[in-house]
Amino acid sequence: MLQPILKVDLTTRTIREGPVPRDWVRDYFGAASLAARMLYEHLTLDLDPLSPEAPLLFLNGPLTGTAGPAVGRFVICAKSPATGLWGEANIGGFWGPELRRAGFDGLWITGAAEAPVYLWIRDGRAGLHPADHLWGATTYGAQSVIQQELGETGTRVASIGPAGENRVPFALILCDHGRVAGRTGMGAVMGSKNLKAVAVKGSGEVPLVDWAAYKPARSAANRALRDHNQSVVLRDLGTASGAEYFDYLGELPKKYFQSGVMGPGYHASGCTVSETILVGVSACHGCVIACGRVVDLGDGRGRRKGAEYETMAGFGPNLMIEDIAAVTRLGERCDELGLDSISASNVIGLAFKFYEEGRITPADTGGLPLKWGDPEAAAACVEAAAVRKGFGRFLALGARGFGRYFGAEEAAVQVNGLEAAYHDPRGASGMALSYATSPRGACHNQSDFFFVDVLGQTVDGLGLTFHSRHAGAEKARDVAIHQNWRSVNNALVLCILAEVPPDSILRLLNAALGIDETLPGLLLAGERAWNIKRVINHRLGLTGMNDRLPQAFLEPMPDGGSAGFTPDFTGMLSAYYQARGWDPTNGRPAPEKLASLGLEWALPDP
Amino acid sequence: MTSIFPSPEWLNDLHNNLNSDSKYGEVARKWEGDISLIIESDVRFRDTVILYLDLWHGRSRAVEYVVHPDQKPAAFVISAPFSNWLRILQGDLNPVQAMATMKLKVRGNMAYIMRNVPTVLDFTRVAQETPHHL
Repeated sequence: MLQPILKVDLTTRTIREGPVPRDWVRDYFGAASLAARMLYEHLTLDLDPLSPEAPLLFLNGPLTGTAGPAVGRFVICAKSPATGLWGEANIGGFWGPELRRAGFDGLWITGAAEAPVYLWIRDGRAGLHPADHLWGATTYGAQSVIQQELGETGTRVASIGPAGENRVPFALILCDHGRVAGRTGMGAVMGSKNLKAVAVKGSGEVPLVDWAAYKPARSAANRALRDHNQSVVLRDLGTASGAEYFDYLGELPKKYFQSGVMGPGYHASGCTVSETILVGVSACHGCVIACGRVVDLGDGRGRRKGAEYETMAGFGPNLMIEDIAAVTRLGERCDELGLDSISASNVIGLAFKFYEEGRITPADTGGLPLKWGDPEAAAACVEAAAVRKGFGRFLALGARGFGRYFGAEEAAVQVNGLEAAYHDPRGASGMALSYATSPRGACHNQSDFFFVDVLGQTVDGLGLTFHSRHAGAEKARDVAIHQNWRSVNNALVLCILAEVPPDSILRLLNAALGIDETLPGLLLAGERAWNIKRVINHRLGLTGMNDRLPQAFLEPMPDGGSAGFTPDFTGMLSAYYQARGWDPTNGRPAPEKLASLGLEWALPDP
Repeated sequence: MTSIFPSPEWLNDLHNNLNSDSKYGEVARKWEGDISLIIESDVRFRDTVILYLDLWHGRSRAVEYVVHPDQKPAAFVISAPFSNWLRILQGDLNPVQAMATMKLKVRGNMAYIMRNVPTVLDFTRVAQETPHHL
C-alpha cells in the first residue's frame, strides 16, 4: 500500500494531500513505474522542464523503508533538462524511508518560489522555510545548516548544490551520506523552482498489508543476500570491486573511450581503495550489503565518502588520472557542488580530447591547459561547470552541447543528451542496446546488462540465456527482458546491486501490497512500465532515429581485452524492435503491443 | 595420457603442468597463497575431496589430495559441487562468473582474487589443458 502524496505549489505556497489511485499501484507498484503513469498526461513536447509548470515528482516504492533486502530507495522523476525526454534518478540513503514514516509516499512539486525556500515535512505536516541564506551552499553544507535549524535529531535532508541552483543540466540531488539522484538533471529542475532542499522527519510506522508474511520473507531474503558472494565482494571492495576484471576484458574505458589499456601497474579499483585509504563502510537504510566506502585521505579532514565505480572510472582511467586520492576528491567535489559525476567526468574527458586535438585552445579554456592525467585541470573544470563561469559555461552544456558548440557533436559519448556510463559496449555488447534504447539516454541502470555479459548473472527464472559477451542480435530479446526486470527493481525500489531471487521478491511484494502476483505478472508490469516511458518519449519528440550509439562505440578499440571488436548494432536493434513488438520502421510500440499491456489508452500521439 | 578427475594423479598432472607452463609462470608471478578446491559430492560424484595447491610466484610448490572430510586450511577455500567444477574444467563456465553467481563459494581475501583475475583465469586455462576423464 502507498500513502498519500503531498502536492506542493511553490508559486502559490499551497500544500495539500493527494491520493495515489489504487489501480495504478496494482499495475505499476510504485516509484519509477508509477511515476511514469502519474506524469503521463503532464509531460508534453512544449513543456520547458525548467519552467514553473513542470512537475517534479519524488516517489517511494511499496518496499521502501521496510528493511527488506536493499530497498531503502526512492525515485525522483520529471522531464529531463539534459535530454528533453523522460527523467528518472533513484537514490538510496534514509530520506525515502523517513518520508514514509512521516506519513507520505511522494511529493508532487510544481511552481517556483519567489525566493529560495526549503520544504520541511514532519509527521503529516509540511511547510516552507526561507532558504536565502542557503543559496550558494554546498549540498552537505545545506544539509548541516537545515538539521541545526530544525533541531530534530534524525532529520533527513535532500538538497541541491550550486549546480542545481545554476540549472546545470546534469545537476544532482543529494541526501544523507552522499547518496545521490545523479542522472538526468533532477537537481536543475529543483533549482529552477528555487527549492534548495526537502527536510523530513517521521515517527510513524511504515505501512504494509501483511507484516506476518513479510517478516519471515524479509529475514530469509536478507540472510541470503548478506551471504551471497557478490554482497561479500561489494562489502569488502565496494561497487568498484569488478574494476580489475572489467579492465582485463576491455570493458572499462580509458582516455575518453579511446583506449583499452592504461599502463602497467595501475588499478583504479575497489581493491586499491581497500588496500590503501579505506577505513570503513556505509549502508543505506536496512541494507545488509554496505557497499558505501568510507575513506581517510590523510589530509587531516578525517573520514569521508569514497568513490564508487562510476566516479572512480570517470575521474580515473577516463581522464588518465592515477592518484586515487585525487579521484576521491574530484568525486567528493561533484557531490558538494551538486554535479552528477558520470556526466561531469564525461564532458571533461571530451574537453581533454578536444584540447589534445587542438579543437579547443587556451583561448577557450581561459588559459587552463587540459592534459590527460592532470587532476588540477579536472578540478578546475568541475568548479567552473557548477557555477557556469568562464570555460564552465561550455562544460555545463553537457557532452552533447559541448561537442555541438565546438563543432564535433559526434565525438561526444552520449545518447540523446545523457552521457554514457563507464561500461563499454565493445567489452559487453549488450550494453549497446542498453544505452541506445534506455528511456533516459546512455544509462547503465535501466539495464546493467554488463552483469549478464561478463558476470553471467542470468537471474534464474527470467528465461535469460547466457551468450558470449561479444554476441549480437541473439541477445536482443534478453536485453528486453532484462530491461523489464530492472523496471521492476526501479518500481519497488530494489537496488540493482542486490542479487535477490525473483521468488523472494514476489513474496515480499505480495505481502507488502496484499496481492497475489506471479513472476509473469511481475515481468508484464516491468514491460508495461518500459512501454509507457517509451510512449512518453515519443510524445516528447523521440523517434527511432534516437535509438543510436555514439561514434566511439562503433569504432574498434585499438588495444586491451576487447581490441578490434565493435557490436553489430544494426542487427541488434532490428532484433530488439522485433522482440519488443515495436514498429521496425520507427520504433514505436505497436497498438496491439500496447493493448496487451493494458495501455490501449496510451496510443502514440499522431 | 589422461587421469581421472578428481584424483591424486590428475592433481599431480596439474602440478607439473603449472610448473612447466611459461605463460602461467609469467601471469602468476606475483601470486602468493595456497588454495583448497573443495569438490563437493553431488549426483555425479559421491565423495567430497579437496585439491590442495600451494601456489607461489607462478609455481606450484606442493599439492595434496585430501579425502578427509575436514577442510584443508588454506588462504583461499573455494567450494562447489562436482558438476560445477566439471563445467569449469570443460570451459562451459567462467570461474569469475561462477564466483559472481554463487556457483563457486569463496572464503578468503576477495580483494586479492579480484585484483588477480588474470591469474585466476590462467590457472583455469592450465587446469582445462590438463587431460582428464571421468
